[in-house]
Amino acid sequence: MAEKIVEELRPFFDPKAVAIIGATNKKGKVGNVIFENFKMNKERGIFKGNIYPVNPKLDEIDGYKVYHSVEELPDDTDLAVISIPAPFVPDTMRQIAKKGIKAVIIITGGFGELGEEGKKLEREILEIARKNGIRVIGPNCVGVYVPDTGVDTVFLPESKMDRPESGPIAFVSQSGAFAAAMLDWAAMAGIGIGKMVSYGNKLDVDDADLMDYFIHDEGINVVTFYIEGVKDGRKFMESAKRITKVKPVIALKSGRTEYGAKAASSHTGSLAGADTIYDAVFKQTGIIRAEDFEHMFDLAKAFAALKDKLPKGDRIGIITDGGGAGVMASDAVAKFGLRMADLSEETVKFLKEKFPPHAVVGNPTDVVGDTDAERYRLALEAFTKDSNVDAILVIVLFQVPLLEEEKIIDILAEYQKKSDKPIVAVAMGGKKTDRYARMLEEKGVPVYPTPERGVRALAGLVRYAEYLKKVKGE
Amino acid sequence: MREEALKVIESVLSQGRTAMVEFEAKQVLKAYGLPVPEEKLAKTLDEALKYAEEIGYPVALKLMSPQILHKSDAKVVMLNIKGPEELKQKWEEIHENARKYRPDAEILGVLVAPMLRPGREIIIGVTEDPQFGHAIMFGLGGIFVEVLKDVTFRIIPITERDARKMITEIKGYPILAGARGEEPADIDAIVDLLLKVSQLVDELRDYIKEMDLNPVFVYEKGKGAVIVDARIILKEPKEKKPEVSSEYKERCA
Repeated sequence: MAEKIVEELRPFFDPKAVAIIGATNKKGKVGNVIFENFKMNKERGIFKGNIYPVNPKLDEIDGYKVYHSVEELPDDTDLAVISIPAPFVPDTMRQIAKKGIKAVIIITGGFGELGEEGKKLEREILEIARKNGIRVIGPNCVGVYVPDTGVDTVFLPESKMDRPESGPIAFVSQSGAFAAAMLDWAAMAGIGIGKMVSYGNKLDVDDADLMDYFIHDEGINVVTFYIEGVKDGRKFMESAKRITKVKPVIALKSGRTEYGAKAASSHTGSLAGADTIYDAVFKQTGIIRAEDFEHMFDLAKAFAALKDKLPKGDRIGIITDGGGAGVMASDAVAKFGLRMADLSEETVKFLKEKFPPHAVVGNPTDVVGDTDAERYRLALEAFTKDSNVDAILVIVLFQVPLLEEEKIIDILAEYQKKSDKPIVAVAMGGKKTDRYARMLEEKGVPVYPTPERGVRALAGLVRYAEYLKKVKGE
Repeated sequence: MREEALKVIESVLSQGRTAMVEFEAKQVLKAYGLPVPEEKLAKTLDEALKYAEEIGYPVALKLMSPQILHKSDAKVVMLNIKGPEELKQKWEEIHENARKYRPDAEILGVLVAPMLRPGREIIIGVTEDPQFGHAIMFGLGGIFVEVLKDVTFRIIPITERDARKMITEIKGYPILAGARGEEPADIDAIVDLLLKVSQLVDELRDYIKEMDLNPVFVYEKGKGAVIVDARIILKEPKEKKPEVSSEYKERCA
């Protein structure tokens, strides 16, 4: 069962040959942008498969031979991307079935989201797909983006939308517009996305299928979902329970509408909004619920870097070079239900000996504004060895005059590597700080722009670690 | 368990009803070993007097009618009846109130119940979600549920871990754990209630639509809990096996 889903979905992410049905030479048209994406990635040496444009009215686009029908396509075609108008899709699906292609992305909109006519088309397509063992992503979506293999069906051109680099985060979105905006943003924020799937109306491939697939995807450390609704709740829960035992899943669920009140004749029914039910589902399946997209990627970033060294408890140690930031972080520790670590006597003694008298030893430990990188090293040395500390938040205000920026970056990276305690950094500031934050992230230390967001990300790690401990004990 | 509960359910459905009266709901609950008081349904005043003797005064009377589901609105609950004379008087009163509230009310009988020692009030409920199926709710009763909506849900079936987490995650948990020097409530009894309700609904999912156990009295640690009032709404028989919907409401933005 597990291997079946991997085999079924493989062509979506790594096809031998892709047929672009509705490819055109008219710039800006969906069928043109998708063709250009593949062509560009082929020229860059990233996309290794063959590209077969399909259009009955053209013979050639940019030097590529155009096929006049699906029937004419070479036999190695294992993925079809469809961007022709909805009413023509069922017929094309029949030809695809005949040709033996088993993976189809339907980009085109104008289906179930528009009403009964569209739903009829969807039912027809689904029937053909089920009968012939074809898996379908879409319709009404932007499809798939995989930076490692060069699959890119996102019909927003590179001139208007940046693509993120590869990374251990999978991003699944019901909404195509949200998916595109997030990819663009992730590129800017330096967040690596290994696979993006936007499934639109999810006629066939759904959240559960993708979770089953990502369990086996070794390149993916953490899976993020933007969900508006789930069709088969029980299937979703089964798949979610399986994957969360192996890797974290973060969900951003929109549509906090009340439906319960209208139909309920019991007290309980009137209290059950759609949202409370999703809350329950996420709790029971170990899915971490994100408050908003910022929270989702804050968490994703933390898990991408620290999935394999989750905190062993909820006791947080804070090191800072600014008193105010330390207080904010301590407040956040309480707010997100974590505990401030009670430093061991050895830690306190060691730091008091080494630190100048005006530095504040405790939790938070304040290395104060005249700090150099070495003072951070001493604090990290003591905190990582302290058995009362489960995770460390290091606040670095890069603006202080004596702090050697590159040295502190190296020290943090060194302790991240050699300690089994997760280290999360907070760097507040502007452009200059941002540059150092990037350097720090490249070396495996997730960085957040405020203490509150840093602690919130740590809280996500702690909660997931607790969940794992519980399910493994059961 | 299931067989016994099904008998009650089938009988209600055969009368063309989906709303079970308290007495019927409690029979279903009892079939699954849930703690309900020793109550008896009296059809006549003589029966009521006999049952009250057996149970021991003081007793409570509750009139059972499918048309009167909000019993306190209709004033068909009489509490703390201390002897046969008072019972005779209240028997008349309760019937008169019912007639005033709903002249067409069909009266199935009057439940004679022992007066229960008050405990900390909780509510346990069940509702059905179109995507995820039945969900169980837990919260503290009274103003906690009415005003603060301090409740939590899980999809059925639940595990013991789910049940314990539900209890500790509501804001009012300290009231159960024992705030201000109060003895802690019987948490294990609540866990047991939640697990049994989950099992009951899981096994009867084709029949049960919604359920309210409200209130349930929980006593001190080791002293258990008792379901004071209960409602069960059944599915319309045709609803029993819902067809898979082909509606695709979701869409790309």
